[in-house]
Amino acid sequence: MSNNLEISGAQIVLEALKEQEVDTIFGYPGGAVLPIYDALFGQNFLKHILVRQEAGAVHAAEGYARSSGKVGVLLVTSGPGATNVVTGLTDALMDSIPIVCLTGQVPTHLIGTDAFQECDTTGITRPCTKYNYLVKDITKLSESIHEAFEIAKSGRPGPVLVDIPKNIQLAKSTYVSKKSISFRPHRIKSGAKEISKDFIEALISHIKKSSKPILYVGGGCLNSGPIASQKLKEFAELTNIPVTTTLHGLGCYPGEGKLSIGMLGMHGTYEANLAMHDCDLMINVGARFDDRITGRLDAFSPNSTKFHFDIDRSSIDKNVKVDFATNTDITHSLTSINEYIRSNNIEFNHSQFNPWWDQIKQWQSKDCLKYDQSKEIIKPQHAITRLNELTKNKNTIITTEVGQHQMWAAQYYKFNKPNSWITSGGLGTMGFGMPAAIGAQLANPDSLVIDIAGEASFLMNVQEIATAVQYKLPIKIFILNNEYMGMVRQWQELMHGSRYSESYVDALPDFLKLAESFNAVGLRAKNLNELDDTINEMISVDRPVIADIWVDKTENCFPMIPSGAPHNEMLLSKYDEEDPENQEKGKVLV
Amino acid sequence: MSEASVYPEPNNSFKNSKRNVLSVIVDNEPGILARIVGLFSGRGYNIEALNVTVVDVKANLSRITLETIGEEKVIQQIIAHLEKLVPVHSAINLADLKESYEAEISLIKINYENEEQNIKALSLADIYRTRTVTKKGGLIIYEISGTSERVNKFLDDLNNINGIKVEIVRSGPIGLGI
Repeated sequence: MSNNLEISGAQIVLEALKEQEVDTIFGYPGGAVLPIYDALFGQNFLKHILVRQEAGAVHAAEGYARSSGKVGVLLVTSGPGATNVVTGLTDALMDSIPIVCLTGQVPTHLIGTDAFQECDTTGITRPCTKYNYLVKDITKLSESIHEAFEIAKSGRPGPVLVDIPKNIQLAKSTYVSKKSISFRPHRIKSGAKEISKDFIEALISHIKKSSKPILYVGGGCLNSGPIASQKLKEFAELTNIPVTTTLHGLGCYPGEGKLSIGMLGMHGTYEANLAMHDCDLMINVGARFDDRITGRLDAFSPNSTKFHFDIDRSSIDKNVKVDFATNTDITHSLTSINEYIRSNNIEFNHSQFNPWWDQIKQWQSKDCLKYDQSKEIIKPQHAITRLNELTKNKNTIITTEVGQHQMWAAQYYKFNKPNSWITSGGLGTMGFGMPAAIGAQLANPDSLVIDIAGEASFLMNVQEIATAVQYKLPIKIFILNNEYMGMVRQWQELMHGSRYSESYVDALPDFLKLAESFNAVGLRAKNLNELDDTINEMISVDRPVIADIWVDKTENCFPMIPSGAPHNEMLLSKYDEEDPENQEKGKVLV
Repeated sequence: MSEASVYPEPNNSFKNSKRNVLSVIVDNEPGILARIVGLFSGRGYNIEALNVTVVDVKANLSRITLETIGEEKVIQQIIAHLEKLVPVHSAINLADLKESYEAEISLIKINYENEEQNIKALSLADIYRTRTVTKKGGLIIYEISGTSERVNKFLDDLNNINGIKVEIVRSGPIGLGI
């Protein structure tokens, strides 16, 4: 495009998206974005996915971003369009997902007049975005959009919002290419450039001195890109250190890899949590010492030296004080460390950790994830185990909603590669999984994308089935249907004397008829002998499927570190008694 | 009244007083103050004093100086969060600097009812070397600058004069390090 040709703001938006190599945009039209929708009409480089509610657009953009490593983009109108994406923006901020959200706004001369569908979008979204813009000057539009992309993907990724008044979309100016913009470095926060030699040497000498080390890996490793996971595997194997991952770290190290001891945290494995508690050296790679992970802070891993890799300096020493930290990008950090080890011919004595591995194996022998599968009723854990078994040779991406099913998915599905597991961890947004599956399927047309769902969460964004049907996205919604908000019911059982206040979901729809009415495929498994057939049929149908799996209504998710308890006081089954003092303290926690 | 109490040294007074006065250089753009204030209010921290002014018109930079209360760990977190904000160039705690200099400016309006009060106020104003901004029938406005401690002392002494009414505006502490 020639430099002095004047085009409309709406066309500038599309030019910028084109230059950013955006091929998919999720959105919902409305009065204040009509000029952009008009520009979308008739062009063919950008596929617009019409969602059924704006919340669906933002979660779909998250699913797209998480499964592709690219920035997810959405376009919504002013007022209710913007307020409907607030939950999703907060979700993306908590889970570090790069999103660019374009919102329409009333024309600049009407801002502040309580105009129709006006809201203070930048004011409302300021605390739930990395950054946001209100573009009041057409000549700043190109630069704002390009900078938004840079900010969204740099450093700790996150959501950025660009609010564009309608008159700016209609005004004319020249388009400014990304190439001719020099981004001001202080605005693109990328972490430190070089890892210090001191940090590397301290790490190596502590590994050599250590007898009980652990690698604690989080979503930061994922966000650093696919090379980071390879470098992590290399580093773990060079040193023979056991690896535990957070909910978001699943897949960064192969779940079935020989050094994996499973997920840690509130519903993590017995061995991972005890190893965290007892270790003498903790190497945190891209995790943030979240409260689901640490349990009671004053009893968290009391005797360990702690190393922390986190590109976000504000995550260092936030919850847990560490001894050594680096805010360099993880790919760079781990590459430098591995190279240092090789070029200096540093040898690690693998047998040094034999007693530690023996201890871990002893913990593993407790088999904390065992469950009793009865002859008839499907145990939810068993449903996931079978799903894993029957899909493991396929190129599968799992998304989830939020609750018990999410934890069972994390525990029983084996994630052996990064970017194949998409879940709402930080914010815990029910209704996340199905739209996220839509986004993931669009980014990965050849993958088998399954949303492991609970019936209550699924209903929160049920309208998006229509989106999947319209765009022929063969996503699978695998509902573990127990007719309860299961995790709420579990907490009520454990902490509120089994008083099940409002956690039973009465008047559920018939999911077969629901599927049928949307022109999707409905399947049902009522008992154990129907389970495998249902899963196989679900996989083989090349259309959106809702699989309604009737599971044990009273099953709870174990192991569990109750809120307020330390790592070494886990409940392994419903027969374990919780320390009453912890129970009282835990009540105030979430 | 000792000399030292009236004229506390302006240098390193942040360090010595254990106050947390943060100096933040930002792009002068709409919403930047809201971002910073939101960072505090969203986390339940309070701002005791706040000063914002453009300091470089050409580069479009403002300096925000603010005083807050908190343990060292909390202040470190606040600084890390400030530095994370896109328009922020730098954020420092003046108390962390080897050497820093403090000043505050204040205007103080006094209404007095009798000559005795007037004389007492005049004598204090003289000791503290204030500048008289205006003076008309029963009303004086003084300008005083220096460390916050010095302004506090002047105000304490003024308030000890029975029966006068005092109205105050303060810039809050500002500071520079070298």
